[in-house]
Amino acid sequence: MIPYLEINDRTVLSAVGTAILFCAAASAVAAPPDHKEQHFAVKGRPTVVLQNIVDGRIEVKSSKNPEVVVISTSSPEKVAIDLEQAGDRIDISATGLVNSTQPHEVEANFILTVPEETELQLKTQTGLIYVEQVNGDMQLESVAGDVNLKEVSGYIIVKTTGGSLKCTQCTGKLDFASIGGGAQVLQSSLMRINLMTATGNLLYDGEFVRTGIYSMKSTKGSVEVRFSPTDSLDVDARSLTGAVDNQATEFLRPDVHGSHHSRNRGNSFFGTVGQGLAKVELSSYSGTIRILKRP
Amino acid sequence: MQCKDFEALLEQDGLDPLPLAARSHLTECSACRNLFADLSVIVSSAREFPAEVDPPERLWVSLRAQMAAEGLIKQSAPASTEKAAWWQALPSLFRPRVLASAGGALALAFAAFLAVHKKPVNVTNTNPPTPAVARVQTPAQPAAVQQPRSRAAIAPAPAPQMVAKRRSTPATSATPNFKPAPSADVYGGTLAGMQDPQNLAGTSVEADASLRENLRIINEVIAECQKHLKKHPNDALAREYLASAYQQKAQLVAAILDSGRSEQ
Repeated sequence: MIPYLEINDRTVLSAVGTAILFCAAASAVAAPPDHKEQHFAVKGRPTVVLQNIVDGRIEVKSSKNPEVVVISTSSPEKVAIDLEQAGDRIDISATGLVNSTQPHEVEANFILTVPEETELQLKTQTGLIYVEQVNGDMQLESVAGDVNLKEVSGYIIVKTTGGSLKCTQCTGKLDFASIGGGAQVLQSSLMRINLMTATGNLLYDGEFVRTGIYSMKSTKGSVEVRFSPTDSLDVDARSLTGAVDNQATEFLRPDVHGSHHSRNRGNSFFGTVGQGLAKVELSSYSGTIRILKRP
Repeated sequence: MQCKDFEALLEQDGLDPLPLAARSHLTECSACRNLFADLSVIVSSAREFPAEVDPPERLWVSLRAQMAAEGLIKQSAPASTEKAAWWQALPSLFRPRVLASAGGALALAFAAFLAVHKKPVNVTNTNPPTPAVARVQTPAQPAAVQQPRSRAAIAPAPAPQMVAKRRSTPATSATPNFKPAPSADVYGGTLAGMQDPQNLAGTSVEADASLRENLRIINEVIAECQKHLKKHPNDALAREYLASAYQQKAQLVAAILDSGRSEQ
């Protein structure tokens, strides 16, 4: 009797396990993401506001058409997506309907196609925010997702908690604030930047516009600027406990304006390239500051 | 020495001890004399302040209790004796008959779930450019009211409801299902929003982990700056970083509360 009972128990357990596994796999296969596409005609310069309080990626591209196209892909039964148009303003929100226990369990991804002249306010939790070829002021917020901007212009405000920023061929003004994220600004021609992070690394490798102001501040990460010998800038670098690594000493002259000559001591440095028209302020608590000439 | 030289000297070397040229300038220039006197008072007053004062622990306890009472944060419930009793009863659930029944019920539940879960995708809508306000709501329907798969395969699924309304029409606000515009709470979050349990659902596990990790990082930065300032209380750069870290922490805590998470 005992062997029979043991076999019976095992059989039942195996059957139950198989049924559960089969059903779980089948449910995963049987639940494709919700895919929706909405078109909103606009007349002038639209403003698109997207608040995604669940995980997900936001991609924005531009077109010549006077319309905003919103394509969303979301977890079925787990996300509610609201869209509203009020004149040239498009409001989009994605809200979770269930509590998320696994990463990407409750997710909504968006692809927006907007006119070239568009203002953006985008917010997501995780997942990349990618904006390409859009002219207009934009405020982009992410908790853990990165922000990637290419050929955008306007007053750009980026706030992340742990996500990083990569800004390529950007023009206008840029504000970046993060705790764990870094920022790379490449091939850009920004007239004002303000990059601030606690532990991320900061890099500016772009044009220094005359009369531009460039402020880069990282508490623990590195701060690096690369300039061309034809640029015109004053560099003021200060680190509390980190090193100031000036690898372009032959191009940086002592301060020509006369008030900072005594600052070149310890972890501080002040130097001028050209006439010193742009103002570059580099600061760190313990991170290394590097000043390099662009090859 | 000129006034601007005197100011530059103060900025670089502080108040003590002034060189001879600066002292002679002070005797001639009343403006600089006043500036020097003001700065001396500020510095001496500042030295009397304690370097950093942490708020008392009871303040945090009280604040946390108040926020928990208002439903802004969740407090983890202590383990109770009822829970232990539940665990003690757990082995009885693993009897073959119970397992078989549970398995069968589970399989049936999954089968039912699969039957009602399948729904068509790729819904495309285009709205005309004429209406001033167009609103589209696509909430997920409860499984209980959805069509079985067999019927859904025959009849096309209803497209997401799309209603064009004039913003000035009062009927909009009178609709029972009215919700504020999605943009209303984009960059701030209201108290009402935080208390809404609907807003608590769906918060990201990954984002939650990132917020907690960065809160830990910023606390470390604050501790490091405080430690440095205890040794070098006049270090302006360290003070600047400490102030900045406090600002970042405030924003982080606000973000945590805004999204309905708890700091712990």
